[in-house]
Amino acid sequence: MGMPITHIMTSGMSGIRAAGDLVARMEFSKSMRLKPAKEYVAKKLGVSTFDLSDEYVMREVRENLGIGVITSVAGAPKGHAAKMNIEKLLGIKINCCDKFRKQMK
Amino acid sequence: MTEYALRRGDGQRLFLTKNQIRDDLQDGMNDACELGSVPALSSDELDKLAEILMTPGRMVGVETGMEVPVTHDIGTIRLDGDQGNSGVGIPSSRLVGMMFHERAMGADTMELGHIDYSFKPVKPVISNEMQAMEVVQQNMIVPILYGAMPNMGLYYTPDGPFENPGDLMKNFKIKEAQEMTEKSAEHLTRDMVWIMQRMMKAGADGVNFDTTGAAGDGDLYATLHAVEALRKQFPKMYIETGMAGEMVLGMHGELEYNGQLLAGIWPHQQAKLLAKAGSNIFGPVVNTNTSKSSPWNLGRAVTFVKAAVKESPIPCHVNMGMGVGGIPMFETPTVDAVSHASKAMVEVAGVDGI
Amino acid sequence: MTTVESSKIELFDAIVAYNKEKVLAAVNKARTVMGPQEIIDALAAGMNEVGVRFERGKLFLPHVMVAADAMTAGVKVVEQDLPKSGGKEALAVCVTGTVEGDVHDIGKSIVSTLLQCAGYKVFDLGRDVPLRNFIDTCKAENGRMIGMSALMTTTMQGQKECIEMLKEEGIRDKVKVMVGGAPATQAWADKIGADGYGENAGEAVRKANELLGIK
Repeated sequence: MGMPITHIMTSGMSGIRAAGDLVARMEFSKSMRLKPAKEYVAKKLGVSTFDLSDEYVMREVRENLGIGVITSVAGAPKGHAAKMNIEKLLGIKINCCDKFRKQMK
Repeated sequence: MTEYALRRGDGQRLFLTKNQIRDDLQDGMNDACELGSVPALSSDELDKLAEILMTPGRMVGVETGMEVPVTHDIGTIRLDGDQGNSGVGIPSSRLVGMMFHERAMGADTMELGHIDYSFKPVKPVISNEMQAMEVVQQNMIVPILYGAMPNMGLYYTPDGPFENPGDLMKNFKIKEAQEMTEKSAEHLTRDMVWIMQRMMKAGADGVNFDTTGAAGDGDLYATLHAVEALRKQFPKMYIETGMAGEMVLGMHGELEYNGQLLAGIWPHQQAKLLAKAGSNIFGPVVNTNTSKSSPWNLGRAVTFVKAAVKESPIPCHVNMGMGVGGIPMFETPTVDAVSHASKAMVEVAGVDGI
Repeated sequence: MTTVESSKIELFDAIVAYNKEKVLAAVNKARTVMGPQEIIDALAAGMNEVGVRFERGKLFLPHVMVAADAMTAGVKVVEQDLPKSGGKEALAVCVTGTVEGDVHDIGKSIVSTLLQCAGYKVFDLGRDVPLRNFIDTCKAENGRMIGMSALMTTTMQGQKECIEMLKEEGIRDKVKVMVGGAPATQAWADKIGADGYGENAGEAVRKANELLGIK
C-alpha cells in the first residue's frame, strides 16, 4: 500500500475529498489534458483551479451540488444519484447512469 | 562534503554528494536521449530534479495547485491479493477494497479487476465480473474502469491453443513463429472486445489495458485493435492503455499499426499510436535499472516521459509502480523514493496524472 | 582488392544485415585472405553487435535468429578449413528455465535465444520447471551454467532452493548459477549465493561469458 498512498499524498487530487474525480472524468471523457481539464471543472464549480485540491473549499461545494462527499451524510446523494448530478454539472454522460435510467419503468 | 540519503534501483540506501547526483542525473538523461532519440532536459530542469532529490524530508509534495489525478491499476489486488504480487492479503471483498480506495485513500479513479488480472480468465467468470461492476457502480462516485492485462502469453501452449512462438523461434521456424503470434493476437483482440462489451453493459466507465506489450509487439498489436473496435462501438467509453515496458519488444518484428512498425517503439511513439487507435489516456513506462542510483533512474525516466507528454495528443498518466518510473524494484516501496519520484514526474515531466 | 581488414568489415556488416547470402559470399571471399578462426571471430563480432542492436530496439528477435542462422551457415563453410579436431563446438552447455510455480516464459525465452545465438548449447526446460530437473539436466548434459528465471517474489525462492540443492549434490563449485526475472536484483543474487544476475537479456549473455571465462 506504500505505493498508492504515497502517490496520493505527494501528488494526488484527493478524489472525492476534493475534485480529483471530476478532473479525471474530463481527462477520460474528452481526452482533455490536465490544464484544460482543471480549468473546465473549476469554471463549472465556480472556483479557481487552485481550489480543486482544497478539501476545505471542495467539501462545501460538493455538499451544495449533491455530487458526493466521503462521509455518509444522511439523505445526501450517493452512488448513481451523485453521479447523475455530476453528469449535469460537467455536461457529460456517465455509462452507469445511462444504464440506471434505462432500467427505470 | 554533504552527502544525501538516496536509493539504488533495488531500494538499497545510497549516499551521494550533490555533484554525484548531478552527474548521475545527466548520465541517466543521456541514456534516454541516445536510446529514444528524445530531447535532453534543460539545465534548469536537471537542477530542479537535483533539488527534489536533495530535499531531506522523507516525504515531499507537489507545489499546491499542481496536483494531478492518480489512477489505479491492479484493482483491489494490492489489498486482498497475497500471491507475491504486492498484495498484502487482507481478507476483504472487492467492494470494500474499491470503497476503501475512494473514501479512505482519496483515489481519483479506481478499477475493478479479478485476482488473476489477465483478460483471458475473465471469460468463464464474466457474469460474476458484471455483477461486481454493477454493485460497485451503485455505491461509488469516482470513475470505475475494468482493468486487466492483455497477457498474450496465455494464448501459447501449454496455456492456449497456439504453439509458443519463443520455442519456434529457437528452432529457427521464424515464419511459423510469426504466424502463431498473429493468430494469438487476433484471438486476444476478440476476447478483450467481448469482455469489455459485457463490462460496458454492466455499467463500467471504461477499461484499463494494463501492462500492454508484455508479450511483445503482438500483444500491443492486439490491444491497439481492441481499442479501435471498442472506440467504434462505444464512442464515450473511457480507455486507458498502460504499457509493460519502455520499448516494445520485437517478438514478431514486422507488425504494423497505421503504417508504424510496432517493434522497437519508445513511449513518445507509443502515445501517438494509442491516441490514433482511440485511447483517452496513455500510461508510459520507463524501466528502473536496479544497479543504478535513483538520480540516474529518475533522470532517465523523466527524460523519456517528458518527451511522451510533449508529443502525446492525449493525457499521460505515467506508470509509477514497483520498478518503473524511477521507483525502485522492491515489493515494500520505500516512501522516500516514491514520494520524490512522484513530485519529479509532476513538476518536471509535466504528466497529466499518475 | 580483398584485404583482411576489408573482409572483416564485410563479414561483420553481412551478419548485422542478417543476410545469409551476403554472409556466405563474404565468407568465401574472406577465405582467400583469412584463416578459419579469424573468420569465425569476425562473424562472432557481428553477432555481438546484433545482440546490442536487439537490446536497443534496432533489431528484433526474428532478425537475431536469421543472423544466427547465417552465422551457423558461414561457420559450416569454414569448418572444412579447420583441422579435423577443430570443428566449431558450443561454448558451453547452459540449462535455463523458469522455476516451478511460475508460468512466465517470455523473458527467459529471450535469454535462452540470445545465449544460443552467442554460441552456447542451451537446454531450455521451459516454465514451471521442477527444481530437480535443473540439476538432473545439468548433470546429464555436463552443464556449466544454470540460468533460472522467476517473475514473482514468491517463486523466486525456488532460485535459492536450487542453489542449496546443488550444494547438497556436491556440484555447486562445478556449475555457475545466474538468476533473473522482474523481482531479481544483484542484491538478491548476492543474498542467495548466485554467481550472476543480468539486468536484461543482453547483459545476461555478457555475464555468462564473464562467469565462464569466455571472451
